[in-house]
Amino acid sequence: MWDHINKALGDGMHRVLFGVASFLPGLVILLLALLCATVVAWVATRLTRGLLRSIKFDNRIEALGFSGLADWSPSRSPTLFVAKVVWWLIILFGLLVGLAGFATDLASKIVVQTFAYLPNVLVGLALLAIGNLLARFLARGALIGAVNMQIRSAQFISLVVKWLVLVVTAAMVLDHLHIGGDIVKLAFAILFGGVVLALALVVGLGWRDIVSRIGSKPTTEHPEDESSTLHHL
Amino acid sequence: MAMADESTFSPEVLERIASLTTADIAIGIASYNNADTIGHVVEVAGSALRDQLVGYRGVIVNADGGSTDDTVERIATDDAAPVLKLTYPVPPGQRLALLEHDVPDKGRALKAILHATQQLQAKVCVILAPNLRNVSPDSVSALCRPVLDDNFDFVAPYYTRHKFDGLVTSGIVYPLFRALYGQRIRQPMGGDFAMSGRLAAHYLAPNVWNLDKSRVGVDLWMVTEAIQRGFKIGQARVGAMSRVFRESSPDLSVALAQVLTEIFDLTLRDVSIWQRPRGSEAVALLGVAQDLPLAEVALDPQRLIESFRLGYKNLQPVWSLILPPATMLVLKKMSTGQNGKFVFPDQAWVRTVFDFALGYRLRTMNRDHLLRAFAPLYLAWAASFAAEMQDARTFEAEHRVEALCLAFEAEKPYLISRWRWPDRFNP
Repeated sequence: MWDHINKALGDGMHRVLFGVASFLPGLVILLLALLCATVVAWVATRLTRGLLRSIKFDNRIEALGFSGLADWSPSRSPTLFVAKVVWWLIILFGLLVGLAGFATDLASKIVVQTFAYLPNVLVGLALLAIGNLLARFLARGALIGAVNMQIRSAQFISLVVKWLVLVVTAAMVLDHLHIGGDIVKLAFAILFGGVVLALALVVGLGWRDIVSRIGSKPTTEHPEDESSTLHHL
Repeated sequence: MAMADESTFSPEVLERIASLTTADIAIGIASYNNADTIGHVVEVAGSALRDQLVGYRGVIVNADGGSTDDTVERIATDDAAPVLKLTYPVPPGQRLALLEHDVPDKGRALKAILHATQQLQAKVCVILAPNLRNVSPDSVSALCRPVLDDNFDFVAPYYTRHKFDGLVTSGIVYPLFRALYGQRIRQPMGGDFAMSGRLAAHYLAPNVWNLDKSRVGVDLWMVTEAIQRGFKIGQARVGAMSRVFRESSPDLSVALAQVLTEIFDLTLRDVSIWQRPRGSEAVALLGVAQDLPLAEVALDPQRLIESFRLGYKNLQPVWSLILPPATMLVLKKMSTGQNGKFVFPDQAWVRTVFDFALGYRLRTMNRDHLLRAFAPLYLAWAASFAAEMQDARTFEAEHRVEALCLAFEAEKPYLISRWRWPDRFNP
C-alpha cells in the first residue's frame, strides 16, 4: 500500500514538474520578448520624439487645425502622443511574439484575427481624421458666416455644426468597426433625429426674423441704408 | 498686326470687322444682363463720339457674355456711332459667382474688345462699365483726350465721391496699391479706363496675357502691367460715380473677399516687383475739378463698432492665427473701449492688412475663411474713419486718406520682412 502511495505521489509530482517545465520556457520566451520589445520601444520612442520635434510637429498640427489632438495628448503635445502610440504598438508586437512562443495555437489565432481586423481599424482612423478635419472646417465657416450676418449666437451655431459632423463621423466609425451593432445605429438615429427636430423648432419659432432676412433679396439701391455693400465698394 | 483670335469671333463678326476697316476710337462695353442701363451707356458713348470727339471715327464694341435678358437688343446703333456686337465663349462655372458690377470671364470679354481695337487700328480704346448711371459724354471725352492729345497710354478714372463712399478703396485698395507699386492712382480698380492702341497691342502680344489673368483681377492686372512696362499713365476726372447694382448682389463680406482676392493675388504674382519701390510718385491728374452735388452717404459708426465687437468676441481664435500679439492687444483695447474714443490706429490697421496678405500667401487657413474673417476688421476701420471724419469736408477726408497712404508706405519694410522670413516673428 505504501508503495502505491509513494508511486502515486511520485507520478503526481512528476506530472506537475513536467507541466511546469513545459510552461516555463514559454514564459521565459514571453518575458524575453517583452523585455526586447521594451528596449526597442524605448529606442523607437526617443527617435520618434526627436524626429517630430525637429520638424516642429506640434506647430504643424496646430496650423492644420487639429488642435483637438493637443487637448487629448499628454502634456498637450501631439509629439508625445505619437511617441506613446509607437511605444504601445511595439509592446503589443512583442506581446504577440511572446504569446506565439508561449501558446502557439492561441497566438496564431490572435495574430490572424488581429491582422484581419487591422484594415477596418485603419479605415476607421482615416474616417475619424477626415471627419474631424471636415467638422473643424465647417464649424469655422459657419462661425465666420454667422458673425458676418450679425448673428449673436454665432458660436452656438458653430458648435452645433461641429458636433453634428462629429456625431455622424463617430457613428460611421463605430459601424465600420462592427462595435455596438444595431444599438449604435439606433442611438445615432435617435440622437441625430432629435437634434434636427430641435434645430427645426429653434429656427421655426425662435429665429423667424433671421430666416426672413436670409431669404429676402437685397434691393438694388439703398440710398438710406448706411451699411449697404455698394457704398463700401 | 497680330491676327485676331478666331476662336473668339464667329464668321459673321469677322466679316463685320473686315467691313469696318479702320476707326480712331473704340469704345468697349462688356455686358451681361444689363438691360436696365446698357441703353443709356451706349447712348452716352454715341453722343460723345458725335458731339465731343468730332473729327474722329468711332465704333462701339459690345462683348456680351450670353445675356439672358434683352441687353443686346437694347443696344441701338447709328451711322455716327456704329456698334459692333461680339460674343465670346464663357466656361459654365464663370456665371455662377459674379460681383455686382461684373461680367462672366471678364478677361475674355476685354480681350475680345482689344482684338477688335487692333483690327480697327484704333488709336484709343475706352472701356466703359455697363451699369453706369452718371456717365456723361464729358466723362467719355475726358478719358479719350489724354490719349489722343497728350500721348498717354493708360488713363484711369478719377471719380468725385462722397467722403464715405468707396471706403474699401480709400482704406485698402488705394493705399495698398500705392505702397506696392509706387504710383498714386486713386481708383486702380475703376472699371472704366482708356488705353492707347500701343498698349492694347502690348496686352495682345504673345506671352503677355494668359487665362489666369483673364479670370480674376484683370482690371488691376492691366494697370500694373502698364506701370511695369513703363507706359505713360494718367488719371482723368470723370465726374461723380454712381452704379446700378444687381438684385443678387453679394453681401459685404463676400464682395470684400473678392476685392481682396484680386489685390492679394497681385502680391503673389508680382512678388519680385513690388518689393523694390520705396515711397510713391504722383500720377498726372487731368481735367478741371468741379464742385459736384453728391448723394449723401450716412454712416453710423456705432453700428459698425457693434459689428466689430461681435467679430472680436467670436473670431479672436481665428484672428490670432494671422495677427501678432501686438495687433491683438490693440484690437482688445478697441473692443473694450478702454481709451474712450473708438480709434483704429493707422499702424495697427496697416499691419493688419499686411498680415492678412501674408496669411493669404501662406494659406494659414482656408483662403475663403481668411478673407471673410477680415470683414469685421474692415468695419472697425470704417467706424474709426467715419467717427473721425463725421464733420469733415471732402477735401479734409482726402487729406486723411493721404495720411493713411503714407502710413502704408512707411510700414512697407514690415511687409517685406515678414514676407521674406514668415517664421521669424517681427512685432
